[in-house]
Amino acid sequence: MNPIILDYLPILIFIGVAIVVSAALMGSSFILAKSNPDNEKLSTYECGFEPFENARVKFDIRFYLVAILFIIFDLEVAFLFPWAITLGKIGVFGYISMMIFLAVLTVGFVYEWKKGALEWD
Amino acid sequence: MIVVSLLFYLFSFIMIASAFMVILSRNPVHSVLFLILCFFNSAGIFLILGAEFLAFILVIVYVGAVAVLFLFVVMMLDVEFKSISSTVISYLPIGLTIGVIVLAELMLVLFTWKRDYSVTDNLSITTDKQYSNTEIIGLVLYTDNILFFQLAGLILLASMIGAIVLTVNHRPSAKRQDINKQVERDAESSIKNIDMKPGSGI
Repeated sequence: MNPIILDYLPILIFIGVAIVVSAALMGSSFILAKSNPDNEKLSTYECGFEPFENARVKFDIRFYLVAILFIIFDLEVAFLFPWAITLGKIGVFGYISMMIFLAVLTVGFVYEWKKGALEWD
Repeated sequence: MIVVSLLFYLFSFIMIASAFMVILSRNPVHSVLFLILCFFNSAGIFLILGAEFLAFILVIVYVGAVAVLFLFVVMMLDVEFKSISSTVISYLPIGLTIGVIVLAELMLVLFTWKRDYSVTDNLSITTDKQYSNTEIIGLVLYTDNILFFQLAGLILLASMIGAIVLTVNHRPSAKRQDINKQVERDAESSIKNIDMKPGSGI
């Protein structure tokens, strides 16, 4: 058995408590509350009119661009974590290696900035 | 020990069930939410294996970023809520083909590949108790495996440039704020006195 798992036992207990509490809340309202379903209760009411169009509107592509740029810098930070805690052991070589990595990504960041990808028309 | 195996079976059962729900649920947004549940359970399995760093990277990157990206894509695509039965049959042959190929590959890996223990024994860093999981990765990733590390940087750069080239499309008519232009502006350049003759225009 891996000793690491024991460190995460509180999280497991927490998840279990969360499941029990949420199931109890939803289940009790499902069992105890008065239920009188009617089709009209679910119908859309828009100032007396039927809804004119679908509520699901297409998103602008720029949200997608922001999300992609976020993922890239998120990964960059993910690479920084192991580097930060081992910096004393991997020495100058590891330091320079990370600096080259960061420089490559900074090229992309400057490109992104100059191209106006961070601006929102 | 038995608790750990029970946890493994619980996590893998929820993972496989939610993976099925990803392809079976009618609402694509629900599919993405089941995908997130699937990611969480695989993070749990990584934790059982002792791979802490991978588990939390899975939560940070996949749940925090990739799933959000999928949600955006689903919302951008304007997907209709069709009944599954019509689409399942039309995609069944190609899906089955791909499934059988992947299954065959997995079987080949499981039954023909023999693990070469000399490789892991010769590593400079083995899974010692003195180093944590993240430290073991950090000790080899930036020095011994520098090529792969730098290649990862280049791939990130390429994906960044690709995303920008594909999606940045500024309207030339859009009015933007130019701070330099605003600051340079003064009374002499912006106000002009004109002597107007009566009855004439500019």
